[in-house]
Amino acid sequence: MLVPIFTLKLNHKINPRMVAIGKFDGVHPCLTAATQAGKVFIHNPHTRGQRPAAHRLSQSTQDSDISLLNINQAVTCLTAGMLGPNTTGDTLLVGSQTNLLAYDVHDNADIFYREVTDGANAIVLGKLGDIPTPLAIIGGNCALQGFDYEGNDHFWTVTGDNVRSLVLCDFTGDGKNELLVGSEDFDIRVFKEDELVSEMTENETVTSLCHMHDSRFGYALANGTVGVYDRTARYWRIKSKNHAMSIHAFDLNADGVVELITGWSNGKIDARSDRTGEVIFKDNLSSSVAGVVEGDYRLDGQKQLICTSVEGEVRGYLPASKDLKGNLMDSSAEQDLIRELSQRRQNLLLELRNYEENAKGVSEANSGMGVIPANTQLQTALSVRPATEAQKAHVELCISTPNETIIRAVLIFAEGIFEGESHVVHPSSQNLSGCVRVPIVPPKDIPVDLHIKAFVGGKTSTQFHVFEITRQLPRFSLYDITVDASAAPSTGCVTFSINDRPQRVVMWLNQNFLLPEGVDSPEVTFNPLRGGGLLSISMTSNGQITLRTDDIDLAGDLVQSLATFLGIEDLSAEADFPGYFEELRSTLTEVDEFHSVHQKLTAAMADHSNYIRNMLVQAEDARLMGDITTMKKRYRELYDLNRDLVNEYKIRSNNHNALLACLKSVNQAIQRAGRLRVGKPKNQVISACRDAIKSNNVTALFRIMRAGTASS
Amino acid sequence: MEIRLNRVDYVQVGVTSQKTMRLLPALGKRATQKVAIADHDGILTCFGMKKGEAVPVFKTLPGQKITRMDLGGAVGTPQEKIFVCSGSQVRGFTKKGKQFLTFEANLTETINAMHVSGADLFVCASYIYNHYCDCKDQDYYLSGDKINDITCLTSEKLTRLVPILACQDRVLRVLQGSELAYDFEVPGPPSVLELVNNFCTGDEILYGTTDGKIGLVQIGEHSAATKWEIDNDKKKGGILCIDTYDIIGDGVNDILVGRDDGTVEVYGFDSNSEPTLRFEHVLTESVTSIQGGCVGKESYDEVLTATYTGWVTGLTTEPQMAEAGPGDEVRMSKETQSKVEALRAEMEQLQVKVMQGREQYQQISQSSTAVSVVPIFSVNDKFTLCQDDASYSLTLEVQTAIDNLLLQSDVPIDLLDVDKNSAVVSFSECDSEQPNGNFLLATYRCQANTTRLELKIRSIEGQYGTLQAYITPRLQPKTCQVRQYQIKPLSLHQRTHSIDQERPMNRLSLVGQFSFAEIHSWVVFCLPEVPEKTPAGEGITFYFHNTFLGTQLEATYCKGEGHFRSDNISTISILSDVLSKEATKKKINLNISYDINDDSVSHTLKMIHPKLEYQLLLARKVQLIDALKELQVHEGNADFLIPEYRKILDESANLLEEYKKQPAHLERLYGMITDLFIDKFKFKGQNVKTKVSSLLEILDNYDLNSLLDFFQ
Repeated sequence: MLVPIFTLKLNHKINPRMVAIGKFDGVHPCLTAATQAGKVFIHNPHTRGQRPAAHRLSQSTQDSDISLLNINQAVTCLTAGMLGPNTTGDTLLVGSQTNLLAYDVHDNADIFYREVTDGANAIVLGKLGDIPTPLAIIGGNCALQGFDYEGNDHFWTVTGDNVRSLVLCDFTGDGKNELLVGSEDFDIRVFKEDELVSEMTENETVTSLCHMHDSRFGYALANGTVGVYDRTARYWRIKSKNHAMSIHAFDLNADGVVELITGWSNGKIDARSDRTGEVIFKDNLSSSVAGVVEGDYRLDGQKQLICTSVEGEVRGYLPASKDLKGNLMDSSAEQDLIRELSQRRQNLLLELRNYEENAKGVSEANSGMGVIPANTQLQTALSVRPATEAQKAHVELCISTPNETIIRAVLIFAEGIFEGESHVVHPSSQNLSGCVRVPIVPPKDIPVDLHIKAFVGGKTSTQFHVFEITRQLPRFSLYDITVDASAAPSTGCVTFSINDRPQRVVMWLNQNFLLPEGVDSPEVTFNPLRGGGLLSISMTSNGQITLRTDDIDLAGDLVQSLATFLGIEDLSAEADFPGYFEELRSTLTEVDEFHSVHQKLTAAMADHSNYIRNMLVQAEDARLMGDITTMKKRYRELYDLNRDLVNEYKIRSNNHNALLACLKSVNQAIQRAGRLRVGKPKNQVISACRDAIKSNNVTALFRIMRAGTASS
Repeated sequence: MEIRLNRVDYVQVGVTSQKTMRLLPALGKRATQKVAIADHDGILTCFGMKKGEAVPVFKTLPGQKITRMDLGGAVGTPQEKIFVCSGSQVRGFTKKGKQFLTFEANLTETINAMHVSGADLFVCASYIYNHYCDCKDQDYYLSGDKINDITCLTSEKLTRLVPILACQDRVLRVLQGSELAYDFEVPGPPSVLELVNNFCTGDEILYGTTDGKIGLVQIGEHSAATKWEIDNDKKKGGILCIDTYDIIGDGVNDILVGRDDGTVEVYGFDSNSEPTLRFEHVLTESVTSIQGGCVGKESYDEVLTATYTGWVTGLTTEPQMAEAGPGDEVRMSKETQSKVEALRAEMEQLQVKVMQGREQYQQISQSSTAVSVVPIFSVNDKFTLCQDDASYSLTLEVQTAIDNLLLQSDVPIDLLDVDKNSAVVSFSECDSEQPNGNFLLATYRCQANTTRLELKIRSIEGQYGTLQAYITPRLQPKTCQVRQYQIKPLSLHQRTHSIDQERPMNRLSLVGQFSFAEIHSWVVFCLPEVPEKTPAGEGITFYFHNTFLGTQLEATYCKGEGHFRSDNISTISILSDVLSKEATKKKINLNISYDINDDSVSHTLKMIHPKLEYQLLLARKVQLIDALKELQVHEGNADFLIPEYRKILDESANLLEEYKKQPAHLERLYGMITDLFIDKFKFKGQNVKTKVSSLLEILDNYDLNSLLDFFQ
């Protein structure tokens, strides 16, 4: 059994996922974490002695090993590592919703302090692709930005949604690091510098990523799932009712291969084999885990796994010694083996008994046992139902039995389309029948496997047969082919050419849409049941495809899906979405307005703080001179001013939030324009758009979005 | 004095009931003992351990499910005859497996408790107690509530036999012949009784309750006295079996306890003869039988347990060798190796058989006349009200691993999270409107090897209906079983044996043409813990207390008349609603009259007052903790704070824990006060629903006097 080699109780709370270890003086590793009140603490038990207190750094009076850094803003992410070429030790990087600070703890000096409008939700430090210097890469609202030690941004690109997790690893195996980005739209994207090379879709917000070894990496989702990918293939995953707070790769059993260490919201820590997900070690902290890191904290040349909890508990584990034989838990392996075998034997015996009893027939059967005809088979059918007065538009799943048996309940387990992971239909006992209709409304256009479990039996049964069926819901299921002829066609369109036969496009249509009879020509029109104008697809004989829809997201999804199906690597397209472009134009003007308001408010705030200083001095003067009336007056004024400031703050924060929302939608627009193209043309569009925004050239921006290139 | 016990699994038989495993007396000193165990397949197995392998002595043929086992023999000889009961039959076997007795007890119900002592046989069906001597009928007693267990004092000092019944209504009934000598109240429904093997006195018995308490009672001629009691502070499971054995080896018999959540405990006695916990081990399933003895290896004592799924497991004092041989593989002992090989061989054979079974089953499904029946699997379930937090706990246990569980309820209830429960829960949207009338649809997807699930449910008084659980085990062919649990109108009430007559009481009286059985069935419908059988005699009085508020209820009724007295006006209101509804269903005309005591409302409010005040204070303190901590970090210490705040900081951990323990406590109290308010004016014929918002306002700024004024 593995036990912690040290435990510490730091008297500071730790913000989840904001823990790092840095050797700020180049020698001694220090545990660094964000705590309440916009502070960062640095735990340095190695150099106990007098340290100067100045600037940001102040000594905590409670505990001499801890120094506190004042950030004066809510910290959102934090890391430490080598950034500059000529520094003695590691640089501490602290991100907040508006700024990124690079700080030299050893010299107690700011290296750079940059404003980042998109915020910094996640940070990673390291080398990316061919960029020579290490970068501090932050992920914010739909945007990624990389800064070098001078604070210059060498890297910028956009991604689908708010970034929640980042990691650098050699995904493609070319000896250079790629950037893996987990975001709130459930995708893990892989960037080779600013080129998107892969995209894996999960079913919840990707909260953590960590590099295991080679091209293998671990991930954690907001719904309690953790797992391991090798490139784009998922190796294993497990789901827990708790949430994974932090994941880390560490070789705990000393077998030469790292394990995935997960810290959970209930305080549990477990180590799982990277191949199978089998738990090889677990332990419990008394409160939720805040972060899992590694470092040589005892300075004895061995790396320890260090787990921290939100209440400031710290535990360190050494890799297991040889004589534990990889058996880290408190049970004996042989006992477990025998127990498992016996359990399997018992299961087989029970199954056998079921068959034997079944063969005996109904001799002793009573009504409760749920006797059903042996040839009962369940029929399932999927169909598209447009909205009626009583019900919203939905896909209907109809499950029925062929005989007099009834369906007591239907459980559907599917990812990403229900609120939880399952949906249940349980008719009341008066309404039992052999047919159950389940309305399904997929919120996004994703292909989903529906794992259906239907409980079939008699009306009075207490035991039911469970039928398990899996049906696939095609990607574009909420699109009805029966179209009202009078409806006006959509104004938005995207046009591109392919070198493929129309039959292949027809195949793609049949596989990705829910069509009752199938289609045989690529000229089709759908009525999107989520709303929005008609979607029509047409193809000319020379392979030019035109998609007409007002929904730029849908157009992007269709282009990507079609390109994947046909195996197209590069695809350029011309697009026009007048409605959306108009919206974007107004958003861009709003951004300018918000910026100017922001500047005005900042100036006003500076004025006010000057007043405060003056008034405070005057009030204190009055107090010292015994002039109570003036003092009261001054303090009253001060109070009023304070109230004004609070109000102004509220305005400022509203303004800021509105600005953030606008910036996000601008970033999304670039991403959307990119998604209408595939491969190189896509990257060109994104970088050209970015340049246009930088130079504030709105006309060029729209030209690029339409034509796909900056020129002409 | 700590002890270390190591777990060894011996064999697995079928599902076992409570108290169905015993050790046969040892033949010589230091010799190993044989184990006799009986299961639900009706098989009685007797085995001994030889070189780590279970060697069967005998095994009977399958038959009806065996519910109890006891050992007996002529007085003065070793107690080595095995008695088992199944249905209404008792059979006796010698230690060689020869059947020497078949005795039909002529009971209409199945025997669920049995005790053998010399030539005396005591059996109990649910309400009936019977005493036979040499198979001749001696005494008979009809108990007021379900009998859970029986034992009998047989000390030489005593002139007569003293049978003691453990009854569900929280009393031990001490009998004298066919008459009740006296009854003795215990703190919970007793589930098991065990004689203390102490020859000097011989008049002490141990009891265990379904809510996890243990106590020692000295049974006297006319009264009994509690020597000590162990509370269940840690909310462990209910007690299923107790034994006394000196496992620690200090010359004093220790108490061995098995619980239904899989906990095995050893209590030793300290110098003051107070029981203290010395050892604890958690098995994954209910511990149905426990006994101390020597089984695995001579001269090593052990605690032998049998679990629900039929595992016989020893916790032995024999130290386990850390077998670290050369090489990297953990070397297995020869015994284990041969055991594993034998198991593997058996499994292979079984696999073949199962494959055949599967094929046949597939073939049957082609035929149009055949039917498919799967035998009912055994589910061990328990649905009990927890006194401390006024919520229900539901535990489900199945022989094999559970795949998923569907919970459905037609009343509004809250599902609470249970730490022990690792299953992934998902709530499904449900339409509480007709036609389906579901208020709760939740699925639990269990992790591998979960055979036991524990859930916690909070109900609201006045809302009644049914909770259904559909359990699907991981067993082919897949079936699921439904279990139903009634949520009664006065679900938070619990039986007691006396009430405080001083309190101001409201009365509800019913007069009408109904029989005693009819009104009893209505009371059963309304209140938990009332025996289903109509009590003997003309009339009856039951007492209850509300576990949440501490208010009380007295129900006295007989043919044609019923009186209900409570100090809580809401209780009276709920009763009157439900009773009149039930009577209308049966088309019985009821004459309902009320006697409302206005003092009772202010009395109830005063009773709630300390709870409410405490909760409000707690909530306020908890709210302050974070802010105070921040101040402490900011200022470096907490010396400048007023003592009250410093105290909050000091106690913060306790406060948080307490707050976490009782979620939504305040909301529940508010709800009950609102009900009280509405009900008070309902009896005056006024509808005050419009005033509820002003009541909530008063509650938000709580003060007892203003609340009392508002109620006037």
